[in-house]
Amino acid sequence: MTIQAVQTRGGISARAAVLAYVVVCGLVLLLMMVFGLLMRLTQAQWIDIQPDLFYVIMTMHGAGMVGIAGLCGATVMWYFVRRHVPVTTGIFVANLVFFLIGALLILGSGFIGGFGAAWTFLFPLPAHSGDLWSANAAAAYMFGLLFIGVGFLLLHLDIARGILSVYGGLGAALGVKQAFGLAPESEGPPPAVAASTMALIVNILGILLGAAVLVITLVNLYVPSFAFNALAAKNMIFFFGHVFINATIYMAVIAVYEILPVYTHRAWKTNQAFYLAWVLSTVFVLIVYPHHLLMDFAMPTWALVLGQVVSWLSGLPVLLVTAFGALTNVYRSGIKWNTAAGLVFVGAAGWAIGVIPAIADGTIEVNSFMHNTQWVPGHFHTYLLLGTIAMFLGFLTHITPRSNNAWAPTGFWLYVVGGSIFVLAFLTAGAASVPRRYAVHLPSWLPYDRVGSIGAALVVVGVLILVVRFLVSVTSAAPEEAGA
Amino acid sequence: MNNNGRLLLIAGAWLILWLRPLRIALEGDMAVHMTVQVPLLIGLGLLLAVSIRGQEPHWLAEADWLGIPGIILVIFGTSFWMLPRALDSAVADPWFDAIKFLSLPLLVGLPLGLSWRRMPPLGRAFIWANFIPKLGAIGGLYLAAPTRLCAYYRLDQQATAGWTLIVIAVALGTLWFIAAFVGWPPQHAAARPPSRDTGSKPGPPLLALPPPYASSR
Amino acid sequence: MTRGFLPLLALVVTAGVAALAWETEGFRVVTSAGARQLDIERRPRPLPDVRLFDQDGHAFSLGDYKGRPVLVDFIYTRCPTICSALGDDFHRVMDLASGSGSGPQIDLLSISFDPVNDDREALKLYGDRYGATAPHWRIAAPADASGLAALLQSFGVVVIPDGMGGFIHNSAVYLVDAHGRLARLLDPDAPPQLLAQQAVKASVP
Repeated sequence: MTIQAVQTRGGISARAAVLAYVVVCGLVLLLMMVFGLLMRLTQAQWIDIQPDLFYVIMTMHGAGMVGIAGLCGATVMWYFVRRHVPVTTGIFVANLVFFLIGALLILGSGFIGGFGAAWTFLFPLPAHSGDLWSANAAAAYMFGLLFIGVGFLLLHLDIARGILSVYGGLGAALGVKQAFGLAPESEGPPPAVAASTMALIVNILGILLGAAVLVITLVNLYVPSFAFNALAAKNMIFFFGHVFINATIYMAVIAVYEILPVYTHRAWKTNQAFYLAWVLSTVFVLIVYPHHLLMDFAMPTWALVLGQVVSWLSGLPVLLVTAFGALTNVYRSGIKWNTAAGLVFVGAAGWAIGVIPAIADGTIEVNSFMHNTQWVPGHFHTYLLLGTIAMFLGFLTHITPRSNNAWAPTGFWLYVVGGSIFVLAFLTAGAASVPRRYAVHLPSWLPYDRVGSIGAALVVVGVLILVVRFLVSVTSAAPEEAGA
Repeated sequence: MNNNGRLLLIAGAWLILWLRPLRIALEGDMAVHMTVQVPLLIGLGLLLAVSIRGQEPHWLAEADWLGIPGIILVIFGTSFWMLPRALDSAVADPWFDAIKFLSLPLLVGLPLGLSWRRMPPLGRAFIWANFIPKLGAIGGLYLAAPTRLCAYYRLDQQATAGWTLIVIAVALGTLWFIAAFVGWPPQHAAARPPSRDTGSKPGPPLLALPPPYASSR
Repeated sequence: MTRGFLPLLALVVTAGVAALAWETEGFRVVTSAGARQLDIERRPRPLPDVRLFDQDGHAFSLGDYKGRPVLVDFIYTRCPTICSALGDDFHRVMDLASGSGSGPQIDLLSISFDPVNDDREALKLYGDRYGATAPHWRIAAPADASGLAALLQSFGVVVIPDGMGGFIHNSAVYLVDAHGRLARLLDPDAPPQLLAQQAVKASVP
């Protein structure tokens, strides 16, 4: 009852909160994309950025993109799950505030403090900077991540509380009984609830381990003799990192489930396969992370084999039901395609295609050759740029007022074509053994970087069009709605 | 059990724990000190809270908004007794140990028992979610420490204490997860899912939010 | 927010921070070893004038060192681990100190806290093992139990059984200044050169 009191007295409306999220997501996304473009231009040798600044930009781009992908997913999730369970607007806003504080700390750690240990802050690297950054700069980064983690923790716990108050248990909200045929499919939770439940289960566990390793890293910064087991720390970091970045797509995919039906006028089918897929993916996402450590010979073999086998399966269940569901939802529906529907459809497709390079890299034999090449950035940019972010941009376009705007298709095609060129440049470079970490960049590698730069530039322009269009529409629509 | 009986039980247990042989036995090992004696003392405070619940001064109950001040007191109290120096002093100096014997029940257990009930579910979950990883991290740091943190405990005892904390953290985390997964304690709201409402209305919703969840009650 | 919430919150936070600040000496130490070191550096501690006997059987007292700085460590002669490392370190420090020629001379004193096993013979054997010669490096034991207790108390040495018939003790090298006060705790893991250097530097008023 106290929660309700906070909600009504909070002052800010749910609508304003969602708008604030979308604006922050759009702007930070653009900024981070520009960082990415700068790195590609440097590799293409069209501009000149010194290595120490390059690594700062890379760290900011990584941390910023992971964070903003999480925020994009959270926006989509909250907007739709709110229809099915009681959630607190104040907590939703608090997450945004924590995120902005954390983002400022992280930007400060990089551009003022020079922190450049990559977003994965691999222990004990933050404490061994070679005088490139101070312990305080590294600590600012860690505290930034902690702030963002606290915000997401609160948000997920609040949604969990809402889900528990309606469904009694997270298992019921995930559709466990439906998954195993113990209850009728018709009584199962709506897709938005099942997906949110999965995302919050894995994210809460991920954030718990992430918080523990952040505390350990902070102590190590100031008391370096506290030498925590580095392999254990790496396991914790990649558990947290893998789970968090994967959860972004499992949150964003709600946009596919909710937005496509609006344009096809057909409900999204939830059957036993759908629920089973979400249950299996929950388990797989939690145990697949060792595939990030396939090159760590000190890891026990069984963990690496687990990582390899599960990474063949990990994304597949939800991916298949989503791709298949999207196709059946669209097929012969008489849908009138527009930018929003197109973007969420691209999101489902980008995710489906992105699984191919992922499975390749998750195989130990391939990993030993490919993991140090640009195949890896190719793989995760396919997932994130053409999957998660496409879904979010579809959501952004979906809620943009006055969607009859000539510019939307231009933005869409720039984004899709540019994004495809950009990820293909990475993937072909990886297939040609162009390394992602190098001391000397061979001239024969430059064409890949230059094609990739052009693709990245097209993406930036496309996203700029979609975001500006949203901002202009919202500011011009606001007075009308206030008057209504 | 009536209230006087319970108070008598608390006082008796407290005195037994204070008995010198038992005190030396429980404080002789770091892990036992941290995971048996300290929780027992906190538990006595919790029992005390059960006994005086409802009889606390009205202003205190009012000022303890959502249980926040009380829980912050608990956080400070537990943090203090996690300092290796405080543990050392408690072993070395009976007067310092007396401070521990008074502060753990009265400044940790008692406010925990009183304020926890005032805390909304989200706050409780947030406290759990912070307590569990920090416990594990401290355990990890005990293992990683290059030297003995306490003058009164051997390095192997310190390692045992570290592993004990990690095991407790993992166990608590697992229990917490299982409880949330199967739904325990049972929620009082209808555990029956509401009727399905997907396949939304046609047409783009021009910046409108979907209708929020409305309880059927 | 309710009435009284903010004052109560402020009270709790103030008291909590104050208690933590007090116990950590202003957030500078978390262990008792750290606290001891900080305390000694701020206020050099007077030491009791305990009577001891050395490896040659000569009786002397701590007060006899007045006017000369002395490095002290605590050992037991059967010690298989840290004490032998300390013995090697002290040997090197003695070489360095006697070789420097000029500047204040440093004396060395190793005190045994195991009176049951460490008689004069044992002290002599330990001294011979590391080349210790009185009076520049004495291997000594307190003359009586009360003297031992007073020494451990004033130096802040905690000795606990290791469960295998030996002892575990908080190891440090103690610098007693020319006024006979405990002035610094030095890191026993530091190389002997650094140890000697620090000792010489710290002993100059």
